[in-house]
Amino acid sequence: MGPIVGIIANPVSARDIRRVVANAASLQIADRANIVLRVLAALAACGIEHVVMMPEHGGIRGHVMRGIERSRNQGESRFPHVTHLDMPVTGTAEDSARAARLMHRAGVAAIVVLGGDGTHRAVVKECGRVPIAGISTGTNNAFPEHREPTVTGLAAGLAATGRVPAKVAFASNKRLDVAVGERPAEIALVDVAFVTDSYIGARALWRTETFRELFVTFADPEVIGMAAIAGLIEPVGREEAGGMMVSLAPAATARTVLSAPIAPGLVVPVGIDDWRRMPAGIPFHPHLAAGSVALDGEREIFFDGREPVSVTLTADAFRTVNVPAVMQFAATHGLLRAGASLLATALA
Amino acid sequence: MARKISMKQAINEALDLEMRRDPAVIVMGEDIVGGAGSPGEEDAWGGVLGVTKGLHAKYPGRLLDTPLSESAYIGAAIGAAACGMRPVAELMFLDFMGVCFDQILNQAAKFKYMFGGKAKTPVVIRAMVGAGFRAAAQHSQMLTPVFTHVPGLKVVCPSNAYDAKGLLIQAIRDDDPVIFCEHKNLYGHEADVPEEAYAIPFGEAAVVREGKDVTIVSYGLTVHRALEAAERLAKERIEAEVIDLRTLSPIDWDTVLESVETTGRLVVVDEANPRCSIATDVAAHVVQEAFGALKAAPQMVTAPHTPVPFSPVLEDLYIPTADAITAAVSKIAPRAMAA
Amino acid sequence: MSTNPFPLDKADLMKAYRTMRTIREFEERLHVEFAKGDIPGFVHLYAGEEACATGIMMHLTDVDRIASTHRGHGHCIAKGVDVHEMMAEIYGKATGACRGKGGSMHIADLAKGMMGANGILGAGAPLVCGAGLAAKFRGDGGVGITFIGDGASNQGMVLESMNLAAVWNLPVIFVVENNGYAESTSVDYATAVDSYVDRASGFGLPGVTVDGTDFFAVYEAAGEMIRRAREGGGPALLECKMVRFFGHFEGDAQTYKAKGENDYNREHRDCLKIFAARVRETGVVTAEEFAAVDQEVGALIEDAVASAKAAPLPSARDLTSDVYVAY
Repeated sequence: MGPIVGIIANPVSARDIRRVVANAASLQIADRANIVLRVLAALAACGIEHVVMMPEHGGIRGHVMRGIERSRNQGESRFPHVTHLDMPVTGTAEDSARAARLMHRAGVAAIVVLGGDGTHRAVVKECGRVPIAGISTGTNNAFPEHREPTVTGLAAGLAATGRVPAKVAFASNKRLDVAVGERPAEIALVDVAFVTDSYIGARALWRTETFRELFVTFADPEVIGMAAIAGLIEPVGREEAGGMMVSLAPAATARTVLSAPIAPGLVVPVGIDDWRRMPAGIPFHPHLAAGSVALDGEREIFFDGREPVSVTLTADAFRTVNVPAVMQFAATHGLLRAGASLLATALA
Repeated sequence: MARKISMKQAINEALDLEMRRDPAVIVMGEDIVGGAGSPGEEDAWGGVLGVTKGLHAKYPGRLLDTPLSESAYIGAAIGAAACGMRPVAELMFLDFMGVCFDQILNQAAKFKYMFGGKAKTPVVIRAMVGAGFRAAAQHSQMLTPVFTHVPGLKVVCPSNAYDAKGLLIQAIRDDDPVIFCEHKNLYGHEADVPEEAYAIPFGEAAVVREGKDVTIVSYGLTVHRALEAAERLAKERIEAEVIDLRTLSPIDWDTVLESVETTGRLVVVDEANPRCSIATDVAAHVVQEAFGALKAAPQMVTAPHTPVPFSPVLEDLYIPTADAITAAVSKIAPRAMAA
Repeated sequence: MSTNPFPLDKADLMKAYRTMRTIREFEERLHVEFAKGDIPGFVHLYAGEEACATGIMMHLTDVDRIASTHRGHGHCIAKGVDVHEMMAEIYGKATGACRGKGGSMHIADLAKGMMGANGILGAGAPLVCGAGLAAKFRGDGGVGITFIGDGASNQGMVLESMNLAAVWNLPVIFVVENNGYAESTSVDYATAVDSYVDRASGFGLPGVTVDGTDFFAVYEAAGEMIRRAREGGGPALLECKMVRFFGHFEGDAQTYKAKGENDYNREHRDCLKIFAARVRETGVVTAEEFAAVDQEVGALIEDAVASAKAAPLPSARDLTSDVYVAY
């Protein structure tokens, strides 16, 4: 049996309060299902015969299976064989993590992830060294790059079949590890923010006056969200060593005020007191005594000063499919030319 | 000052006067202003037949064109009424009740009772009724009995411009939900109508022609057919008393019973289909309450038990005619009298 | 005493707890009383869903109108309807909120802005459009909120109402209480696109999904939507994912649920427990203070049941009164 690719498509991403406070997009379930179908078609075109998906009750599964059945009824063979993991469905991010764990255990060659930063975070927590290929269907999406999913599917397929050498196909990524007292460690892929709200509430961050400290793995001026703040001060690349930390304050009292797109459609003044590079491997402790920790833009943990809190940057923490590199390689080596496929597979 | 105006104008005037009097009166419906969001002129229609024409200019913002969503806007009118407004919602054709009946049947009609008396729902639902417009089966029905069957609703169906104005004003001021049925073939009918506002109380039938030999009870368009028949019968020395019910719920039993006590004969004319209709209701009530006064079996002249047909020749057969009414009277009138 | 990290002051935290506890106690008690056979008809219990009604209603005053569902006790209590009158109504007594003429499914109190529980699912959506319209005409800043189950979200009148609310820019919030079951039918089966936010975006309405077992999530999202609606920002949809502790109605054997589902939900997804634990751990409200509320609420419901049982039945005269204001 050839390599198996996993797909984790989260139906609940892009549903938070930023729809109300910031006109954020909400990609419809039917659109997400169509993205899955496009990815499946691309994977099949690369010779992937079996795909395993995360089960969910959000409607994606139904649409995808209907789409495959309709295609089959028309005599086509555009899609690989699709099965779903046998696991309970809770309708929370826990499903994404569990699916990643099961896929990791089953030895899939790559996992295509549909979701926002939160979904990717849940997957990365459990996928070990299995490379992931991210497709943005969330709100902020600093982590997954924006690209037509068919291309992401092709790259994942070419990488999974081994037709592109691993050192070209996969990129290594940084991660932030957060420890609050004795509680289980948490991670963030893009940013960790400390805010004065001590409750989780609607999770999203949009009240800038509550922002105090920010840690980022990379700082890209082209993204939306907390990472945009760092990116607009001093860009740090995804593959560059080290991250960045920023001290934030209410705009009225801060040393510098920056206009930053902290959510889609929400370009607001953010007060900045200080910033510096953050080396990997060294734990940093926030000054804020009580509040909550937002991981990749969502309040997740509250703390009240009774427990020590630390943030550590980890280098080479997980692997992603390097879509530009894979497609470049595919072009240079004619991987998608007629007749190339079998030969290339044989060589690999 | 009374002057001759059409029933359409009379309805427009009633809305105008009540909107002027009470800021809680708002009007909503499909195309009641017309042309909303369209590239052409505003206030393009004033309702499909122009009944609300001109009110938009006088009361900007208080006439609301609605999307084609009867459940939503009839429901919204009912909800607004329960929250202190006095909405007049136009359902265009009463036949469209099929898509919003829940809001009328299970909501508006029930609030007062179901909430232990602690609600009032002063909503008026205006709609066209009746055949003769070549509008076929889904735009022509006389569905009054469907609504009289429902406790909590009031049902009104005027036969002339004067009544239309006074009854609509009463309907708007009334604290209960009112289904206000406008016969589309009467819109052009003219009568003397005072300029000022006046309310005609519900539950008071009008004796539109006096007579001692037979009582003809009707409402809406067929009142005119009954009068035509009475005219003909007079030539045969049969004096028919014609009663226009005006409101079907509440209904003025006293006037009907008093008349039958005198005449001993009853003919009910109803444009609705025959089963469980206003005709059966009136006939049954009279039989129960005034059996001793009856000299003959009550007769019912109604539309047949069919949908409303389209072809003019068929539709003309559908609506009760003066001939049919005359025939029904002749059937129960003593030969001596008819001779 | 530590500082209060919550967006509500202590009095409001206590009020929220008292409301949720009152709903819970009311429903748990009905569950017991119904089994004794003293309650006529059928009742649909809201236990497990308290955070949704409470998180929303904490933002409302009597000028705001809500339209509820068949599962309406929680909405009534959170909107301030008198608990004694509610209980008497459910027992069919003359002292009931509706003088015994409405029963569990039709409890209303228009003075409190409660436009009625409703036996017709989805019917509240057009009604609150009317409430929103009335508020707009009056300029009183009121909002209309309709509660819709995941099942009723498939009613045409709900979709029509979303369109009307959008077209007229009404201060209306559509709250989808998604407890996963329409009676016994799973949302997975009955809803083609299982996201109510997608429905909303079809009409250009912003939609938000929150964990309906988390009071603070509901409170914060609803607060933003309600503020926006009051200011003229238009309608929105809030989907609360929650759990129903009991069956569709009392007497429902619930064989369609997974084995252990109710136990799991009571253990891990009890909104009242989650709220109390979170607030207690900050020290803003102590365990003793919560216990005092529990006791007070327990006594309240005890008294409500006792007085409902003792209350007079309606008289024959009541059969025909209140059909019309005047007839």
